[in-house]
Amino acid sequence: MIVEYIQSALLLIAAFLVIVSAVGFLSLPKDMKNVVYARIHIIGIFDIACIIAMIGLGQYLLAVIYLILAPFTAHAIANAFYKSEDVVNNVELNVVEEDEDNPNPFIVNKSKVQELENEDSEKLKTDERFTISTLDINEEE
Amino acid sequence: MDILIISKYILIIAFIIMMFAALRASAYKGTSMGLLGSSVVVVAFAVALLVFGQMYNLTFYRDISLALIFFGFVGTVAFSIVAGGDK
Repeated sequence: MIVEYIQSALLLIAAFLVIVSAVGFLSLPKDMKNVVYARIHIIGIFDIACIIAMIGLGQYLLAVIYLILAPFTAHAIANAFYKSEDVVNNVELNVVEEDEDNPNPFIVNKSKVQELENEDSEKLKTDERFTISTLDINEEE
Repeated sequence: MDILIISKYILIIAFIIMMFAALRASAYKGTSMGLLGSSVVVVAFAVALLVFGQMYNLTFYRDISLALIFFGFVGTVAFSIVAGGDK
C-alpha cells in the first residue's frame, strides 16, 4: 500500500514536471537571446521527469541508462547549434568571404594566368588537350 | 479507482501534451530545434509506452522502449555531429 502511494506520488511529480517543461518550452519568446540554449536547458527538466517516471514504474535500469545518455544528447545538440547556426556567439560564423569584384570574367590579370601556368597541376599534366596561353594587349594599341 | 492508475493516466496525458509541444517546437527555425523536438518526441513516446505496457500487461514493451531511447540517442548524436561540421 505504501509502495503504491510512493509510486503514484513519483508519477504525479513526473507529470507535473513534464507539463511545466512543455509550457516553458513553448512560451519562450522567439527573439530572445540564446533561446535555443534556454530550450535545451528546459529539456533537462523533462529528462529528469522521465527518469522519475521510470523509477516510479519500477524500471531502474532504464532510468540509469537514460540518466547517463541524456546529458550527451543535450551537449551534442548545443554543440551542433554553436558550430553551425549560432551567429550571435560564434565569431567564426560572422566572417564572410568577400568575392573579388571582377566586372568582366573574360579578362583576367596577366600575373594570375602566369601563376596558373607555373603551377604543376596534375590536372594539367593528365589532360593535355587544354592549354593556357597568355596574350599581351597594350591599351595603346 | 486506484490512485496508481489515475496517476498513470495523468502521466500519459502529460506526455501527450509534451509530444505536441515538441512537435510544434521542431517546426521552429533552425536544424537544431528540429533535432531537439524530435528527440523529445521519441523519449516521451518511449516513456508513455512504458506506462501503457504496465497498465495493459503488454509483452516486449520494455525492449521497445529501451530500443527507442538508445537508438534515439544514437541518431541524435550522429545528426548533431553531421550538422556541426568538421571544424
